[in-house]
Amino acid sequence: MRSLFACLVLTVALGIGTCGQVIRIGVVGPMAYIQGEHHWYGAILAAEEINAAGGIDVDGTKYTIELVRIDSNEMQPGPEAVGAVERAITALKVDFLVGGFRTEAMLAMTEVAADYKKIFLIAGAADDALLKGRVDKNYDRYKYLFRVTPVRSTYLAQVSFILLREVVETFRRELGIEQPKIAIVAEQAAWANMIVTLVALQAGAPVDKGGFGGQHVGTWRPSALATSVAAELSAVERAGAHIVFTVFSGPVGVVFGRDWGRLQIPVATVGINVEAQAQGWLEATGGFGAYTATVGIYAEGVAVTEKTIPFVNGFRTKFGEIPLYTAGTYDAIHILADAIRRAGSLETDAVIQALEVTDYVATLGRVAFDELHDPIWGPEHLTGLGVQWQEGAPRAFWPREWRPDPTAQPDLVIGYPGTVPYQIPPWVVDHWRGTGK
Amino acid sequence: MYHLRSLIRQVRAEVLVLPSRVIALVFVIGLLLFPLLTQDPYLLRMLILASLFSIYAASWDLLAGYAGQISLGHALFFGVGAYTTALLGLHLGLHPYLTVPLGAVVATLAGLFVGVPCLRLRRHYLALATLAFPLMLTGIVFMFPNFSGGEGGIWRIGRLASTRVGEYYLIVGVMLVAVFSLWRIAGSRVGLIFHAIREDEVAARALGINIVRYKLLAFAISGFTAGVAGALYAHFARIAGPSNLDLFMSFQPVIWTIFGGAATIYGPVTGVFVLYPLLDSLHVLLPQYRMLLFALLILFILRFMPQGVTTWIRDAIETSCPSCRVRNAATRRACRACGTPLRN
Repeated sequence: MRSLFACLVLTVALGIGTCGQVIRIGVVGPMAYIQGEHHWYGAILAAEEINAAGGIDVDGTKYTIELVRIDSNEMQPGPEAVGAVERAITALKVDFLVGGFRTEAMLAMTEVAADYKKIFLIAGAADDALLKGRVDKNYDRYKYLFRVTPVRSTYLAQVSFILLREVVETFRRELGIEQPKIAIVAEQAAWANMIVTLVALQAGAPVDKGGFGGQHVGTWRPSALATSVAAELSAVERAGAHIVFTVFSGPVGVVFGRDWGRLQIPVATVGINVEAQAQGWLEATGGFGAYTATVGIYAEGVAVTEKTIPFVNGFRTKFGEIPLYTAGTYDAIHILADAIRRAGSLETDAVIQALEVTDYVATLGRVAFDELHDPIWGPEHLTGLGVQWQEGAPRAFWPREWRPDPTAQPDLVIGYPGTVPYQIPPWVVDHWRGTGK
Repeated sequence: MYHLRSLIRQVRAEVLVLPSRVIALVFVIGLLLFPLLTQDPYLLRMLILASLFSIYAASWDLLAGYAGQISLGHALFFGVGAYTTALLGLHLGLHPYLTVPLGAVVATLAGLFVGVPCLRLRRHYLALATLAFPLMLTGIVFMFPNFSGGEGGIWRIGRLASTRVGEYYLIVGVMLVAVFSLWRIAGSRVGLIFHAIREDEVAARALGINIVRYKLLAFAISGFTAGVAGALYAHFARIAGPSNLDLFMSFQPVIWTIFGGAATIYGPVTGVFVLYPLLDSLHVLLPQYRMLLFALLILFILRFMPQGVTTWIRDAIETSCPSCRVRNAATRRACRACGTPLRN
């Protein structure tokens, strides 16, 4: 008995002795939803890769990564999100934070991170105000915040405008509709407000003045947790819209895709629909979500960088799904690890300084931070993709032959291998063909 | 010196004679001294939230436990307090020290607003009617998202104090004052009338009690106290959102009160100070089994301590004099008031 006890003590002592140094990273997200699941999955992949490669070398000492799952229940923002982050910092002793989803919750959660001087790499929330007006105006307090994905709302709006323009052009080219009517359906969330305002303004503006040359016929704002949008879609149909511009990050995206396909509403959808980035999109919409187009990060067979396809394949093999943009926690953790290595220290200010000069080729593009700690958007950095569900898979239709600056750089054409042209849904074509209006 | 001696004499005569009061005194002293032992932000946060929810639960106990007006929509008062303070701060830029009392006043008005149409309703009809009010307010919040913050709620609410310890003493102080005041009200003539209304409304009216006035008074006091809790909570959590009005928020004071012991005021406080830290710790230790363990514990208490934990403990350590009904420590042989033998 005594020898057994001695063996146990020895085993425990050896275990403690060999477990080494650990960096605890809190992964924040709405874990009951697919967005949060992908936060977690992305982080798992990154942590496994880094640990398998021997961990992070910090000035000669090897550190392994330990992940802490933090369910912020952000889909319906409440005090739980703030409590979850504070609990993670104070009770679970996390060293860094990654993730986050809803801007409303993130505004408060990042305040907690700033209170405790913890670096928070945002991977999921887009609103400009998370960093703009904070990092620039009060650097000492908010220097701990960086955003990895998505690009900020202004740029996200820019990408979605480009996609909308593609669809408007396709309507002109294929159906002869010169002034397509554009409706907006956006979830009630802070991050969507600016995009909605800009699209509403630009929809009717002439093409030579940067507008879409169409007509704005109305805006509808259902709840991000709505269980039916049939009323909104009927109103869109009654308004005579040809195209509906969507702005969804929550589960309402699935509801919209399902109702739109089921009711065969004769409008093409394009915009932002996070749920449509998921592998299970067609299944979730009962097969009705085909031809949905959205801003995305990953698509079937499209290599944004050399790391994209191995990551997507690895993610799919391990979790059976295509990663959502929230799986950008993968890149966030790699970027953090890279910064720690370069800083040669875990000291917060040193890591911040290293992060500020990041130039890292990630799965979603080349990441470098601007003075707001936002990732730089544009050619040679992050662009995002335009993704449409065609033939049962998410296929990229943008950037295909994108000329970011035709005047100053006429020869600069961006296109990723594997992109295909956008397709108007067949029932929409049948409805509008020959009408010319 | 005279006052100190008088205080000591009073503590000896009123507090040290009963074990339950000694426990309460130790609890209060422990709460006040806690930051001197540790300033761990996690523990302080837990105790701050427990204090806030104690005010909220005690307010429900006064309304439902004492006056018998069972409210299943108590989150209305909590939410009104939270939203009022948040909106006043957001749109008018007022200081929390002004918006918190205003939040409580608006919650009092909400109490009267609920109380008037519910005057003729009793038991489950009353409970169901009160359930509707927070849902209505949630609908209104969603109708004016630009003003109320809609689903996302209102963020960036100012803090009550610049440090966690400051917030702790402020909120614990308010809790102690609020709970003591409610306890005094419950033990006063008003509390007796609330009891009478709960036990037999017709008989109370026959005795000349103005039922309408006292029911509305119960709603107003309860609304005010819950409003204070809601307003303080908004400043501590730095959010006022629809979750302040949801069903779970309405049910929580019921759970805490039944766990601790209804119609006691200190029962719900006990319920919160046991259950809230327990649930929060399970978040860290066993997150996936948190709600299951919580439900099992509640079932256990309901099965073996149906009167609540505090009542069960009090009955174990104290006895009631068969002659004058004064409570005595279980170890006493004769009543401290009338001298009647307590044990054979």
